[in-house]
Amino acid sequence: MRDNKRQIIHFDLDSFFVSAERLQNSKLVAKPVLIGGTSDRGVVSSCSYEARRFGVHSAMPMKMARRLCPDAIIIRGDMELYSKYSNMVTDIIAEKAPLYEKASIDEHYIDISGMDHFFNSLKWTRELRSSIIKNTGLPVSFGLSVNKTVSKIATGEAKPNGELEVPPGLEKYFLSPLSISKIPMLGHKSYRLLRSLGLTNIHSLSMLPVEIMERLMGKNGIAIWKKANGIDNSPVIHYHERKSISTEKTFDKDSTDIKRLNEILVSMIEKVSFRLRKQQKLTSCITVKIRYSNFDTHSIQKRIPYTSFDHVLIETAKELFKKLYSRRMLIRLIGVRLSHLVQGVQQLDLFEDRPEMAKLYMSMDHIRKRYGKDAVKRAVGVRDMQSPSPHNGSKEKHDPGECFENRVLKGSIYH
Amino acid sequence: MKFVISSSELLSHLLAISRVISTKNTLPILDNFLFKLEGKDLEITASDLETTLTTGLSVENASESGSIALPARILTETLKEFAEQPLTFDINTETMAVVIISENGQFNIVGQKGIDYPKLPELKEEKKTALLMSPEVLLQGIAKTLFATADDELRPVMNGIFMEMFTDKINFVASDAHKLVRYTRTDAKAEAEASFILPKKPASLLKSILPKEENQVSIEFDDKNAFFTLSDFKLVCRLVEGNYPSYNSVIPKDNPHKLNIDRVELYNSLKRVSVFSNQASNLVKLQLTGNQLTVSAQDIDFSISANERLNCQYDGEDMEIGFKSVFLIEILANLSSQEVVVELSDPSRAGILLPVERDNDDEDVLMLLMPMMIGN
Repeated sequence: MRDNKRQIIHFDLDSFFVSAERLQNSKLVAKPVLIGGTSDRGVVSSCSYEARRFGVHSAMPMKMARRLCPDAIIIRGDMELYSKYSNMVTDIIAEKAPLYEKASIDEHYIDISGMDHFFNSLKWTRELRSSIIKNTGLPVSFGLSVNKTVSKIATGEAKPNGELEVPPGLEKYFLSPLSISKIPMLGHKSYRLLRSLGLTNIHSLSMLPVEIMERLMGKNGIAIWKKANGIDNSPVIHYHERKSISTEKTFDKDSTDIKRLNEILVSMIEKVSFRLRKQQKLTSCITVKIRYSNFDTHSIQKRIPYTSFDHVLIETAKELFKKLYSRRMLIRLIGVRLSHLVQGVQQLDLFEDRPEMAKLYMSMDHIRKRYGKDAVKRAVGVRDMQSPSPHNGSKEKHDPGECFENRVLKGSIYH
Repeated sequence: MKFVISSSELLSHLLAISRVISTKNTLPILDNFLFKLEGKDLEITASDLETTLTTGLSVENASESGSIALPARILTETLKEFAEQPLTFDINTETMAVVIISENGQFNIVGQKGIDYPKLPELKEEKKTALLMSPEVLLQGIAKTLFATADDELRPVMNGIFMEMFTDKINFVASDAHKLVRYTRTDAKAEAEASFILPKKPASLLKSILPKEENQVSIEFDDKNAFFTLSDFKLVCRLVEGNYPSYNSVIPKDNPHKLNIDRVELYNSLKRVSVFSNQASNLVKLQLTGNQLTVSAQDIDFSISANERLNCQYDGEDMEIGFKSVFLIEILANLSSQEVVVELSDPSRAGILLPVERDNDDEDVLMLLMPMMIGN
């Protein structure tokens, strides 16, 4: 009963990164645009609808995308800019919506259950959408339905720059003809598995007994089956506690240069621990990950006392890396992840933390907050930034919502 | 082996030493009390290998000397249920069968050979130091510092009280690297400079048996073990090995900003305001402007916040400093003076808390707390 009364909107910004770039540079309008790592080994993180026509899609290797669409304009991406636009959209939604959830940098869920007593839900949502378009200039689509899954699928159908309402009771009618690939969180492998069983549309999947799905794919199978039947009771949660902060880097060329790898590790830790401190969080678990050139991926983690200090984390990361890198094989990717986060600020240690050091951290963070996160950093990591060639093409991937490599040093404090 | 003993007297002795017995023993025999009878003197021992506590009492109708280990849990649990009455212990040292005869019945248990019970360590004569200390000094030294000891497997030396003896004073120091307490007594002294680190467990055992003590406590120790001999008890413990960090160098010498405040007022205010602090960090901010102290806390996750203003005497620059409220509350609770002085220098350096009036002319208490790094 309660479920029928819910009204959930899913807002999704159309090819968000491209739209944001277009606002900066109008020459990009109506042209195929690819955003992502610019080297051959990078991947496409966003592409314009013009590029999609050539068969390009996100997460495709850049090399392949370039071959499919040689005329495309390739842009490296500017996460700070995208965050700024994303926050503008969030602010507009926050002002009007009773309960919203920022699901990623370009997606929002809004729960407007009960508001239909006072407003026409669709009209209200339309007004919100036009307000976003008017104030930010970003194209946005929405789906309005009874739960998050159906709304999200509806948005997918409404795109680009459209809207779609799936009224209560008509979810199954709406879902049935769609391909099973439209189900959110259905991965490539699961898709292949289901297709091999002859399941093409959501209707056929929903008709399958749930027990078979469970036997086939375990718990995940039940979740997918529920989605296919338009059942999703997950609430719109205003605030998502971030579980971890991580970063990783794929090299242009696989490497065994231990010194260089350690330097990269240091600069990566510096970056993640600054993010930790900016969010006033402490970590108690650090994980280091490497991927060998044959795609064998290994990781190792260690519990540590709560901290947000670079020097503690760097020491631990180096130690872990030393332990982890056991095979004399080229490394393709290196990553670090900080987890078991708690809200809080660093309690200083009487014997280990000198007051000068605490002040140094505070001043460095102050500079970074004011002049950008690359304004000051450890010298070992600087090489990365100043010599443009061998490394600037490398791809970095962050948590959803963060992203990419930071760009060239914007200006140092010593100017 | 046979003796008669008062049930309540036996129980009170057993309870006093039973805290030594650990729940996770490596040796099964350590779940027992060792009873050792010599003439009319019964000696009962409990041990966890690291710490051994022995108590002595005299019994009636004793015959045959000897020793036996008796299961601790069974003994204390049955004794608790007895009304005061004489109990006869009849022990067959061959079969280890024990019969306890009460007024109305008898209880049969089986003991283990006393000889299997771990032996006490011996002090190395060439490294031995001995001194006498008044029970009051030892008790105060432990009571004032025990709360500040650490629970850190990585830094075992911090998990105890550092007793530093000089020819003119004795220091008791404890720290968990966030807070530090130094309690000095000038009315106690040693013949030569010496020091040891007393682990938490024997320290808290001493804390519970010292209040009843009237005679001087004899302390003997070498580099591995320490013996504390009281009138009724003898405590032997393994010391924490390693060097205590040089704590004197981290106590800031120059703290220009001084805050005088009523201890209880600040304590009560912190108790109230800290409820509103983030549960993970427990951060409270102290803001000092003129002669006013503002205590504030907030928890963004739940949109709650609190602040209170307190009058104080402050001599120094305006500043804001953050502390973990639980630590600050603990420190204030362990000071006894009506008014305290908080000495500060800047928000990233330790704050020192000193009592304004002392309990005793021969003591000197210094408590120190490291701040939390609050952003600007």
